[in-house]
Amino acid sequence: MSEMLRLEAVTAGYGRKEIVRNIHLVIGEGELCALLGLNGSGKTTLIKAICGLIPMESGRCLVKGQDCTRVHERKRARFISYIPQRHSKMQGVTVLDAVQMGYNPHLALLESPTALQRRQAGELLERLGLDALAGQDFAHLSEGQKQMVILARTLAQDAPVMLMDEPDSALDFLNRNQILGRIRELIHRENKAGLITLHDPNLALGYCDRLILLKGGTIAGQLEPARATKEEIRRCLSKIYGDIAVLEHRGKYVMLME
Amino acid sequence: MMSDRRRKQTFCAVSALVAAAFAVSVCVGKYPLSLMEIWTILTGGEIAEIKRSVFYTLRLPRTWMALLAGVGLGMAGAVYQIIFKNPLAAPDIIGVANGANLGAAVAIVLFGYNTLFTAASAFVGGMLVVMLVIALVRATGNPSTTTYILGGIILKAVSEACIMLLKFFADPERQLAAIEYWSMGSLGNVTAFKLLVILPFFLVGLTGLVLMRRQVALLGLEEEESRTLGVRVGLIRVTVLGFSTLLIASVICLTGLISFVGLIAPHIARLILKRTSFAACILASLAGAFILLVADCLARSIHSAEIPISILTTFIGVPCLIYFMRSRKAGRI
Repeated sequence: MSEMLRLEAVTAGYGRKEIVRNIHLVIGEGELCALLGLNGSGKTTLIKAICGLIPMESGRCLVKGQDCTRVHERKRARFISYIPQRHSKMQGVTVLDAVQMGYNPHLALLESPTALQRRQAGELLERLGLDALAGQDFAHLSEGQKQMVILARTLAQDAPVMLMDEPDSALDFLNRNQILGRIRELIHRENKAGLITLHDPNLALGYCDRLILLKGGTIAGQLEPARATKEEIRRCLSKIYGDIAVLEHRGKYVMLME
Repeated sequence: MMSDRRRKQTFCAVSALVAAAFAVSVCVGKYPLSLMEIWTILTGGEIAEIKRSVFYTLRLPRTWMALLAGVGLGMAGAVYQIIFKNPLAAPDIIGVANGANLGAAVAIVLFGYNTLFTAASAFVGGMLVVMLVIALVRATGNPSTTTYILGGIILKAVSEACIMLLKFFADPERQLAAIEYWSMGSLGNVTAFKLLVILPFFLVGLTGLVLMRRQVALLGLEEEESRTLGVRVGLIRVTVLGFSTLLIASVICLTGLISFVGLIAPHIARLILKRTSFAACILASLAGAFILLVADCLARSIHSAEIPISILTTFIGVPCLIYFMRSRKAGRI
């Protein structure tokens, strides 16, 4: 598995306040990692620092060996894509137009999407089962459909590293599982590197290859559910969640409060 | 939801309305011309010299100006409502109109009422105030849309205070009246020469916005999203604001302030198309042109003296805005 994203001693925060300190992390091709932690542990700060929305105080971020720490937005967007917790309203924008916004980093400033790209955008919607919505107003979709459209836009952007900040936060139980399943499948099939923040450790255990536990702005532990025993998982997760129990169901694990 | 065919029909219908308003506008006024007479003039037939002169030196430049002003205000208004993510953003949101007003007032007080000089000074004033807003935003180090709006508020207030100062010291008989009249807007002073002078600025502004249309749509997203989609937000926003300021300044430096068109035309376009795409910006400019052509016809025909254009655009605009508020309540755009 070759290396896609590498963070070296990343420290970031807002103004003078450091929220995450000295983060070292490597994510490989086709690997989906979850960033777990309680509120205020620095999950969102770390994600925003990687995608350049807040400046890094020190440290470096490399994608496929290329330094992406201090580059302008246009260049970074070719290497790193981002799905925010809450997306724009996009009232009066059709689903197909919303997806085509993803081509922006690959187009010249004044260039319009090519006929090929327009066709590909349609195919992306088809792949996610959204082709019937192509001509509809984005603002009129359900939350689950909207998040799927944003995922299609991210696929159009086609960056090797995908960052996601609680993309499931507005979704119901079924949509939540559906979108995470899609994200997992895409990252494995297209050999991208994914880093996703989640609130629910059970979703992380169910869908992610590796769990990265963040506590007080530093990495408190890492865990690969497929290779760990039940006891190892319990011990690791209890570092942030306290007194917990882990149950097994057909090779999958779930966490409960004790 | 509108089909492509319906949308094309809508564009044809609105363009036809604009063409009709254009034709009416070249006919009506103190010296009415009939369409037959205009046809004779255009084909170079025999006609009284006075009619030919009215057509070429008064009617045609003025009608073109109404068309250009409507297109410019409608387009800039639609673009501003997208990039400021605010349906109440008007083209003067970052101070171009107040700057132009100040420039005009300075010229009137210092150099008397020379219309060419006033126009030049108004253009410089409008551009200068927007540049100051941009410099102010740069200085704060937080180039978000909110900072632009705050910067606009600050410089609008400063320009307003300077205008009051000038009015206070102005000669009430001639200068004060001229300043007031300028701020109500009129197309009465437009000549073919002035029109040709502002045309290059107008076209640069308009073409710039048309070319940047994809970036305008991306600026309409939340800032985090547009940045991670590869938009160099700081740079692109200043460029788009620059083009739209050029467009607006080139119009209002000749016409004076024209209220409501830049605010209303984009709403009309969105109500019709149910879209905020660039097609809606184009429809907004056609709607703006229609409103201004109609308003200008009324301005020079309902009374023996010319009525300031802002009075008419406001009376036309307000019912539209009320209709818009009602349709918003009903959950449409």
